[in-house]
Amino acid sequence: MSYLFDPDNWEWLWTGNNFRFLLEGFAVNLQIAAIAIVLSFAVGLVLALMRISSRRLISFPVGVWVDVWRNLPLIFIILYLALAVPGSWRDAYGEAVPDFFPEALQDELVLGALLGLVLYNSAVLCEIMRSGIQSLDRGQREAAASLGLTYLQQMRFVVLPQGLRRMVPATVSQLITLNKDTTLVSIIAIQELVRHGNTVAATGFGVTVTAPILQVFIVVGLLFIAVNLALSRLSRRLEIRERERTGTKPTSVRGLEDQVALESDTTGR
Amino acid sequence: MESKSRWRLIAIAFATLLLVSLGIAACGDDDEEETTAAPDVEVEEFGADTTMGKIQEAGEMNIGVKFDVPPFGFNNPQTGEVEGFDVDLGRYIAARLGVEPVFREANSDNRIPLLVDGTIDLILSTMTITEERDLEIDFSEPYYVANGDVLVPTGSDIQALDDLNGNRVCTALGSTYQETIKEEAPDAELRLVDLYSQCLELIQTDAVDAVSTDNVILTGMVIQDDTLELLGLNYTKEPYGAGIPDGDTEFKEFVDESIQQYIDDGTWEENYETWVGQYVPEEQQQGPPDITLEEALKLFPLEK
Amino acid sequence: MSELWGVLEEHLPEFSAGLWVTFRLVAASLLIAIGVGTAVAALRVAPLRWLNRIGGVYVETFRNVPLLVLLIIAFAGIRRAGIPIDPWVAGIASLGLYTAAYIAEALRSGVFAVGKGQIDAALSLGLSYPRTMRRIVLPQAFRTVIPALSSLVIAMIKNSAIVGASLVALPDLLKSARQVQADTAQTNEVFFWAAIGYLLLTVTATLGFRYLERTYAIKR
Repeated sequence: MSYLFDPDNWEWLWTGNNFRFLLEGFAVNLQIAAIAIVLSFAVGLVLALMRISSRRLISFPVGVWVDVWRNLPLIFIILYLALAVPGSWRDAYGEAVPDFFPEALQDELVLGALLGLVLYNSAVLCEIMRSGIQSLDRGQREAAASLGLTYLQQMRFVVLPQGLRRMVPATVSQLITLNKDTTLVSIIAIQELVRHGNTVAATGFGVTVTAPILQVFIVVGLLFIAVNLALSRLSRRLEIRERERTGTKPTSVRGLEDQVALESDTTGR
Repeated sequence: MESKSRWRLIAIAFATLLLVSLGIAACGDDDEEETTAAPDVEVEEFGADTTMGKIQEAGEMNIGVKFDVPPFGFNNPQTGEVEGFDVDLGRYIAARLGVEPVFREANSDNRIPLLVDGTIDLILSTMTITEERDLEIDFSEPYYVANGDVLVPTGSDIQALDDLNGNRVCTALGSTYQETIKEEAPDAELRLVDLYSQCLELIQTDAVDAVSTDNVILTGMVIQDDTLELLGLNYTKEPYGAGIPDGDTEFKEFVDESIQQYIDDGTWEENYETWVGQYVPEEQQQGPPDITLEEALKLFPLEK
Repeated sequence: MSELWGVLEEHLPEFSAGLWVTFRLVAASLLIAIGVGTAVAALRVAPLRWLNRIGGVYVETFRNVPLLVLLIIAFAGIRRAGIPIDPWVAGIASLGLYTAAYIAEALRSGVFAVGKGQIDAALSLGLSYPRTMRRIVLPQAFRTVIPALSSLVIAMIKNSAIVGASLVALPDLLKSARQVQADTAQTNEVFFWAAIGYLLLTVTATLGFRYLERTYAIKR
């Protein structure tokens, strides 16, 4: 116990560059998460629309695709892509990334990480959106259809605006999970918070103050708690507002751990 | 209503913390523009159709080094820079082209894929020359000769390779030791990790009984923790070569020349002293490699 | 094509050893997760405010910290503090305690589904609080949350891969696959079979839970 609270073991926190080094790493996690959630949302939406298509030729293969990626470990997907992504794609990514993007994201390795994150999360979001859309009263869609709106118009003006709004809390919840998942990219040598934490804790080479790994990673954990807690509060408030607005209960989707927690949070209090 | 505004305050506080930390991180980058001075070497211009020419056009050279293996390649949080023997050699080669070196992390697992797909131009990552690797990439002439050794806590029962049997031994996933240890001590319990710094962590917390890899990497660990010691077994000879894309003979010529010059003009000795020599007792000091690439390849021939 | 089967033939021992490790890891962690999760859920719904708070802290901590960070703390961190924890124990504890937070929340919603009415009725009939929980509320709560449990078990199977990839380095399915890949460089074939391995586990779990659902679940 005394090891935990011994002030000597915490001295590293305000010595030299250590804490800033950790924050720099954390910035990389957050940036990757931000880009990944946006891309996953876009791809997920497309997948969801295909998934609910009445044409089996489209909905069935997409369904299989989504189910496969959802059931594989994310770390597995990321490791595989890191090894298997062809060099030409990496070069293309290197060219395509705009210059104003932060330095860490210019690294071509990030492509493998982003691909993995997006492949997985788009599948997960697809299922969230599918339920969001399908939970909408059938009557509305039929009414829209009888008014002569085409499928796309129905989607654009009736279904999606309402369905998407219901899914915002769930998407924010997925962002929390995504934040945590970005730590996995440390395993493919991307310099983010866990990597930086390892470096700070490991380097006894030429440093006067050692940083014990327990304390370092407690700080890492606290950083994540801070950000994710804020996000979950935000998500909960959005959900409460949605409930007050429309009097509907937010959709619950089978197969998503955070979704379960999210739902129960608001029934409690 | 009260709890609602309380939570809002907390949410805002956290969001502010987040923004502040991002701000600090962003500001931090500005201070670290000062890089180490480039070595003083002659720059030669190359034709645009050679790898060297392309690198010169790009203005920078991507070099894969270790980020967690002092004294050859490690990312120093205090200076924000990557430092080490491999790193300095990389600077030297880049200086010969008159370009800036950009160092990327290349661990034992991903360094070859990164070279093969062009993310990096050169590997300088404590990489042992083996015939199997030679199938996928090309090597330069050896620039350093390390030896395989075993690291144990002082006073350990493990004194010889045989003693590894029945004990937990740590090494890196994808390194030559993954195979070698299985051969030398088939009953050893291998714990494979991604980074040697993790091996150090494991042995310091008694989660493994020994670490086996190149003695230079192990020396880096002893420097950090003097309750550990090297057994001095030197059971393998590990010539390090720079990794070059397969079949690029011109580039290989250039790199070989650079290495030769590096040795001839005394820079090798200098850097050896800085990074290794000052930590190693007199008897174990060594000079530049005396082995050729051909001989090195014979040390690790293809099996099967 | 023949390469694909070739890889399987040659390396089946490694793959199955890895699969077995993953299975044991998930099974043991599940027991911890259900045990701890139930306890925390009980805290969360207890009539005492400060008990709720303790449960709340647990849940918020373990839901917001990445599993990888937990593993490092549980293994390297604890060992540094002087406690010689074993990699298996560290792995099972991390995965178990992490998932317990989610199980606690799921059970909590299950308890509320059972309804305050039943709890009040039981208490007014003279049953003690723990008795009420144990005999009346929890059995129904469990049956309500079977679908959620199903998804949590699948999440656990996926998260188990992180344990092997961390410095806890248990030789699970993914680790074994990476070892084989490092030896043979046949990336696609190796990862294909590892994927099949994981899908085997997740599909079995899904089917198992579907059976449980049909037999026991209470539809809300």
